[in-house]
Amino acid sequence: MSGMRSITLGHYLPGNSLLHRLDPRAKLLSLLIIITALFLVNTFYGMLFFVFFLLAAFLSTKLPWRYFLRGLKPVLYIVLFTLVLHVLFTKGGQVFWRFGALTIEERGVYLGLFMTLRLILLVVTTLLITLTTSPIAFADGIEFLLRPLRFLRVPGHEIAMMMTIALRFIPTLMEESDKIRKAQMARGADFESGNVFRRAHSLVPLLVPLFVSAFRRADDLAVAMESRCYRGGENRTKMRQQQITPLDYLGVFTACGIAAAIVFTGV
Amino acid sequence: MSGTPFQVAALKRVTMSISSGEFVGIIGETGSGKSTLVQHFNGLLKPAGGEVLFEGKNIWTGEMNLRELRSRVALLFQFPEHQLFEETVFADVSFGPRNLGLSGNELEERVRFGLECMGLDFGVFKDRSPFQLSGGEKRRVAMAGILAMRPQVVILDEPTAGMDPLGRRQFMEQVSRLHREEKLTVILVTHNMEEVALLAERLFVFYHGEMLLQGRPADVFGADSLIKGTGLEIPPLSELLQRLCRQGKGVRTDIFTVNEAAQEILQLYRKECV
Repeated sequence: MSGMRSITLGHYLPGNSLLHRLDPRAKLLSLLIIITALFLVNTFYGMLFFVFFLLAAFLSTKLPWRYFLRGLKPVLYIVLFTLVLHVLFTKGGQVFWRFGALTIEERGVYLGLFMTLRLILLVVTTLLITLTTSPIAFADGIEFLLRPLRFLRVPGHEIAMMMTIALRFIPTLMEESDKIRKAQMARGADFESGNVFRRAHSLVPLLVPLFVSAFRRADDLAVAMESRCYRGGENRTKMRQQQITPLDYLGVFTACGIAAAIVFTGV
Repeated sequence: MSGTPFQVAALKRVTMSISSGEFVGIIGETGSGKSTLVQHFNGLLKPAGGEVLFEGKNIWTGEMNLRELRSRVALLFQFPEHQLFEETVFADVSFGPRNLGLSGNELEERVRFGLECMGLDFGVFKDRSPFQLSGGEKRRVAMAGILAMRPQVVILDEPTAGMDPLGRRQFMEQVSRLHREEKLTVILVTHNMEEVALLAERLFVFYHGEMLLQGRPADVFGADSLIKGTGLEIPPLSELLQRLCRQGKGVRTDIFTVNEAAQEILQLYRKECV
């Protein structure tokens, strides 16, 4: 199942750039602000500013291009779909092209390109953060950001713990599914041929053992955690205490500044 | 992974042949490439270089149907009980033969054969859920599922890992009986030196992806200095007999059962102390 192996969740690439060194909490907060700002931008000038801003941020990380391209691939279809929808169905302005009932008009092309750019920039911003933040740091950051929601009884620590565990078990389950798939192939199972229904049916011998083993692992993990007296987030200290540095403030303030500038200038 | 910096050669320069009806053992420490090797035998892995022949035919050139090959060269993975998925033992054991297109009486015959080879009563077990069996029974059911395909060759990857000594012995006795009575070719991958010394006719020793040694168990375990460098241990019996031999006592070193060894040493004792 080569398709399964190409899932690169939490595709973190270790490094030592400015973005790598920023505190995950500061990074996540800045990410939220930048994403909001991206939604507030109304003009191509604003977008152009973000293109340069993100390009500079990207160059500073010294990450290889292909990781970005690979990260963009999954959203390619959504982006194309948005573009086509806007181009064909948003009306207004000069008519560029007409074919029967179909018309391509100025406003459609403009909005299509604008939305496409916005989507791509959203994904690039998110990639910049996920590529430079280790999954564990990421979960810590989420836990911190969910803290204000405690009075709504949002279990921030538990959510972060679930994320960490889920990420931890992705490779394990992948390996497991590979092993079971081979074991069933050794018994003559055929995962490749036949129509959709046949193929879905042929997955039963793979999925049942996979679920059984996932539950078994979950059980083992729960026992292991309980026997170490794990009892959730209340009064729990961390092994890696994160220190907020002036750099982190600078990052968040930069993001705030950009958002404020966009709102006030209306670009 | 090929073409990336993560690429590693798991196996290098391995040339080996196994005859029909043989019982061979493949030994080596964890990570020595044993499991990778045996997955080449039934075409689950395709070698990046070199070839795999079965009955003189290259299994990858298209002359051979891989699914048919896998029914003739069956592979039992480590912890095979993890592959069970059906609602009843009968349904699970019959998965392999069903994939071969069998049904009706013939299918039932195969399932009965498989279960009974592993010492499980057909009538008692066929309607039980495989998930409610004990660990040892689950493993036997998994093995029965392999045998029900009526393979000519079975590859067993650490088949007794995690079993208690009695379960181990019974399991290996059943395998050994199949080898004798059904002329089954057995390829046993294991860490358990005593097991393999006792049963295998020939041993292949792997170390870091290469075949270091091959030969009869007595010869392999006689190559003391070579074996010790591979992280493997010589069975205590062989060690004892070899030490006696090195002290100039005339004992045989190709003995792998406690009883025979006791006889041999007793004889020596009588000769020297009378």
